[in-house]
Amino acid sequence: MTEPHDAATSTAEDTRFQKTLTRVLIVQVVALALLGALQALYNR
Amino acid sequence: MHPINWAIVVAYLTYVVVDGIRKSKGTDTIAGYFAANKSLSWWVVGLSVMATQLSAVTMIGTTGQGATDGLRFVQIYFGLPLAMVILGVTIVPMLHGSGVFTAYEYLEQRFDAKTRSFTAFLFLISRGMSVGTIMAAPGVVFSAVFGIPLVWAVTLIGVPTVIYTMVGGVQAVAWADVKQMVLIVVALFAIMAVLLVQMPVSPHDALTIAGSTGRLQTFDFSFSFNETYTFWSGLLGGTFLMLSYFGTDQSQVQRYLAARSVGEARSSLLMSAYWKIPLQALVLLVGVGVFVYYQFVTPPLLFNPAHEEAVVAERGAAYQALQDEYASAFTLRESAALEVASAADGGADAAMETFLARESDMQAIRGEALAMAEEVTGEASRDVNYIIPRFVLSELPIGLAGLFIAGVIAAAMSSISSELNSLATTSVIDFYRRWVRPDADDAHYLRVSRGATALWGVFACIVAVYAATLGSLIEVVNRFGSFFYGSILGVFLLAMIPRARANGAFTGLIVGMAVVGWVNFQTGVAYLWQNVIGAAVVLAVGMAVSVGDRRQPEPRS
Repeated sequence: MTEPHDAATSTAEDTRFQKTLTRVLIVQVVALALLGALQALYNR
Repeated sequence: MHPINWAIVVAYLTYVVVDGIRKSKGTDTIAGYFAANKSLSWWVVGLSVMATQLSAVTMIGTTGQGATDGLRFVQIYFGLPLAMVILGVTIVPMLHGSGVFTAYEYLEQRFDAKTRSFTAFLFLISRGMSVGTIMAAPGVVFSAVFGIPLVWAVTLIGVPTVIYTMVGGVQAVAWADVKQMVLIVVALFAIMAVLLVQMPVSPHDALTIAGSTGRLQTFDFSFSFNETYTFWSGLLGGTFLMLSYFGTDQSQVQRYLAARSVGEARSSLLMSAYWKIPLQALVLLVGVGVFVYYQFVTPPLLFNPAHEEAVVAERGAAYQALQDEYASAFTLRESAALEVASAADGGADAAMETFLARESDMQAIRGEALAMAEEVTGEASRDVNYIIPRFVLSELPIGLAGLFIAGVIAAAMSSISSELNSLATTSVIDFYRRWVRPDADDAHYLRVSRGATALWGVFACIVAVYAATLGSLIEVVNRFGSFFYGSILGVFLLAMIPRARANGAFTGLIVGMAVVGWVNFQTGVAYLWQNVIGAAVVLAVGMAVSVGDRRQPEPRS
């Protein structure tokens, strides 16, 4: 059986993981948008 | 090289060895030596993971690729963030929680000894070869810079790395990686800053010139199994490559097995998910910047100084004639480049057409020089690997050249050390302790591990001396990996399916490798797709055999 403090730790870790995932997604979108903008503006 | 540059390189080498040895505290047990007693923070592991993947091949081969081919190589990493997220919820908790030292050890817990030994053996072959190619990259730089034989250059870089890896184990390797990663990033930003300052045209004009030659094309949405760098091969094939590399390759798995907890191990992988694409884009942009810079400063006809010397000695007159032609073509191209930069919207197309024609003239002359070099030396020229080293040494200010060379060495060491460490770990844990001496004490295993590290170091040096002539270094490293990666990933995916059995996993692995071998030699399918094919075949065959084989017991958990 899961101990109460283990469950709490697990939930806290899951929340942190999800927050980090959101940030990862934002950074990737920004990076790809910048690269896309370079291509759209300058590449022939 | 200027004494100040030398001083920077020597100071770095001394520091990294001394600091590595200092970090050997607590490594008198195998848990300390191979897993740092599971004591490392997420950011230490995260930087170590990134430093391990970012090798000198990246600093030399990838920047060179940026100069000749532009940004499209970055597409290979499009699958990385996704792969890291998948690993964070699958393989990382599975391996971290199972108390193993190697990923292959887990396969015996789940399947059987032969599956473990075979995958470990494949790792030793592929990594043993690739660590040599990774070592060859700084060997090339040193050889070109100091005019010394490649074998000496390889020894210079290999010996300090072997020393701190041998003494300090994974802890020394991880902490050295942290400092090396910082140095690498500083060196990359510094070279970018210098390029921006020394560029004779504005950043907007520099981008216009780079864009006119197609070097700013990041995205290629065409779908082809034969094209390596497209959006789809990067996203799908790249995801499988990264899943295999970060999920089943001991050189990476060992980093996060040393993390304090599953949560910290996950966070360490997400650090790569954050930064890999931006960092790789920076590396390629440095190469693109060097390409634009050489529109206004005459580039060498041959970047490889050794080849240049050989051609001058044997065909001096013919080479001189080519050089004169090259100089005239350069003057014309420079004017055309300036026209492109200053052209108003109306005349931009005409100016660009002229520029591209002049650029093509220069490439034709360079092609003749490269062919001449290949005839004279009897070697493939691979000039792309010499572009950045030559630029750094002739164009960067004193101090900065030393910093960049130290950065290249750091990138090499951080990868080589992790790989030597993981090769030694696999040799000792999966073979020596499993099959030769299962009951020895920790002191004995530590002695054997240090000996194994030294032996792998020597082996890597030997491979390195021959790897430089094999092809564009970056391609070579990825090819070695791809041949086995997809199939090994398939076995780990099977391990997550309760119905999968040992015989299924082993048969699937053999069939998967055979199919990838056939695809590699008999078809034009690009290597990124081979990872997908390997994993899919292992899964399909493995499950078919497992379902058909009812005699086997339930898997051990």
